Amino acid sequence: MLRVNPLKKSVWVFHLNTGSCNACDIEILDALTPYFDVERFGIKLVASPRHADLVLFTGPITRKTLPKVVNALRAVPRPRYVLAIGACAVGGGIWYDTYSVIGGVEELKKILEENGIEIDKIVYVPGCPARPEAIIYGVAVLLGLVEQKVHGEVKIAE
Amino acid sequence: MGLKKLFKPFKLISVARHSGVVTVLYPYQKPLITAEFRGKISIDASKCMGCGACANTCPPNALILSRRDNTIILNYFIGRCIFCGRCAEVCPVGAITVTHEFELASMSTRDLNESLVHQVEKCSGCGGGLGATRRMLQYVILHSPTAENYVHLCPNCRKKRFINALVMKMGARTENVES
Repeated sequence: MLRVNPLKKSVWVFHLNTGSCNACDIEILDALTPYFDVERFGIKLVASPRHADLVLFTGPITRKTLPKVVNALRAVPRPRYVLAIGACAVGGGIWYDTYSVIGGVEELKKILEENGIEIDKIVYVPGCPARPEAIIYGVAVLLGLVEQKVHGEVKIAE
Repeated sequence: MGLKKLFKPFKLISVARHSGVVTVLYPYQKPLITAEFRGKISIDASKCMGCGACANTCPPNALILSRRDNTIILNYFIGRCIFCGRCAEVCPVGAITVTHEFELASMSTRDLNESLVHQVEKCSGCGGGLGATRRMLQYVILHSPTAENYVHLCPNCRKKRFINALVMKMGARTENVES
């Protein structure tokens, strides 16, 4: 399979809302304004998943949207990149144990594997909602422009 | 007419020069962060006593307190945190502070987990686990000094001691009453 070096190619993004409260979506729109000018990195919003390299993923994936989400992700050509934006997409947020949601990209990954859909790289962007800067930082981590800052740590009291 | 239409886009140049550049070069430039901005929380390992007040109040259960053998583990999953700052509000010892850190993007959810491990104090009577850390006992003694007599005992030992004292008061001859 041909692996495209992400740095040599512009990243076209597709915005996929899977039942979020629209706060993260507004922050994504913020990030696409001339104030941040993400076209510096070649990021461009496209209307179809077939044209996209990266999926801007928001929301905790409700049961109603699940079949559509699977279809949309299947339409994305390889290499498939996903940017999970907001607390809901990362770990389910305040809905993490609710009956009507799948609960984040981690759970979705298992469902996608059953359907034979592989995601090449996922970058998680926590925040409720994530700041536009945090979203741009997430893309920069994905492209390898900046180093990842957080690393899980185990501290011992006393 | 045709010439006018041709020169119309050039009007934008003067407009653009008038308004100037607004774009921030974000990853290479410092972002605007106000004093009220709430980012990730940081737990001070030298102050936290493992009481679990933060885990109780956390709306999305991003902070979870769990007991495993002789340890109490406070786990913080940033991925689920909604940055409300309630944990910092309720912490009795002020161990939790809200930082301005928001650049939390990571490749795996494992990097988004932080945990703090506490050792459980042992019962001075039977030597079993007490269910509280040393700092929790110190905190209790500080706020009610009379508690010093019984906080180091587990509930079972406390019960035995109480019954012993009661029996002694009623005039029993034996020094130790078993169970």
